[in-house]
Amino acid sequence: MTLLHLVRKSAFETSDFEQCINTIASDDQVVLLDDGCYNLRHPLINKLTQVIAIKTHAQARGLDIQKNTLYISMEALIGLTFKHHSVITWQ
Amino acid sequence: MTQSTDINTKKQKLVAIVNSTAPFSSTNGRDALDLALIFGSYEQATSLFFQGDGVWQLTDKQDATLINSKDYLKTFAALEFYDIENIYACQHALTERGLIDSPFIINNVCVLTQQAFSDKLHLHHAIFRF
Amino acid sequence: MHSLAVIVTTPPSSNLTATALHFIESALAQGINVVGVFFYQTGVLNANDYVAIASDEFQVIEKWRLLHAKYQLPLHLCYTAAQKNGLSEEKETNNIACYFTVSGLGELVELTSAADRVVQL
Repeated sequence: MTLLHLVRKSAFETSDFEQCINTIASDDQVVLLDDGCYNLRHPLINKLTQVIAIKTHAQARGLDIQKNTLYISMEALIGLTFKHHSVITWQ
Repeated sequence: MTQSTDINTKKQKLVAIVNSTAPFSSTNGRDALDLALIFGSYEQATSLFFQGDGVWQLTDKQDATLINSKDYLKTFAALEFYDIENIYACQHALTERGLIDSPFIINNVCVLTQQAFSDKLHLHHAIFRF
Repeated sequence: MHSLAVIVTTPPSSNLTATALHFIESALAQGINVVGVFFYQTGVLNANDYVAIASDEFQVIEKWRLLHAKYQLPLHLCYTAAQKNGLSEEKETNNIACYFTVSGLGELVELTSAADRVVQL
């Protein structure tokens, strides 16, 4: 049983991302969307083994493309939704 | 147990409702509780989780009337009548807030380490978070 | 075919709602069976006919109408949340867009059990 985590809040504003990090299990995946993309610049991001962000949401916020991040489309997010048995939204 | 009940049990989803906000400044806590009671009244297996500032909802001796707020926390006592018996609080969140030895507003709260809290949450098929 | 239920808790003024729309539209375009969208908390404001959005801005409310028209997507409002947020279905004061259905929270229970996945946005 694995979870898909959707992170929509900046860790600079709330502790949602920190709570998410504390809840992740090894085969879970985490996707940054909306203001969750600002977490790309937060130290907590280093706790993730794989960083995934919605490309347009990061670009819209002026966050330049980084090599160690996987940028995906909304279409791909739908695929991830059905890859995991359940989805939790941190917002 | 009859055959048909067996099938229903197999199909039934485990529902988790995660509380992450303190009780009064937003409607999140009340809205989450309403949701829990509805799922309970439809006999859906429902668990409540309290994490982060959500643990403030569980503390004893709160008095919402002092700030013109409805005391919805009293309604937590009704959860057992809806067969909502799995109530989990994050030990880390309680410790951070100096609440680890404080009494709860209800009796059957199970305090879990971060690892156990995560493990429990992973057993659920639909997760709502407020 | 995969099925999906979505719960929307954000108002039309928030860009988070544009994300929810994009997510739902992407699912529908891929042939996912979206069994319904349930509007809860201030999400119910998406059904408010009186909300005016400047013409040069993203037309969230119009977008819900289009999705409903194109895919017969069920759009459910939580009755209690609707009342709390000033929405009315009374004849003289009705301000709920006709493509939304006023439902109880029980509808969310039904959608949850009907769908393979539930996503809250």
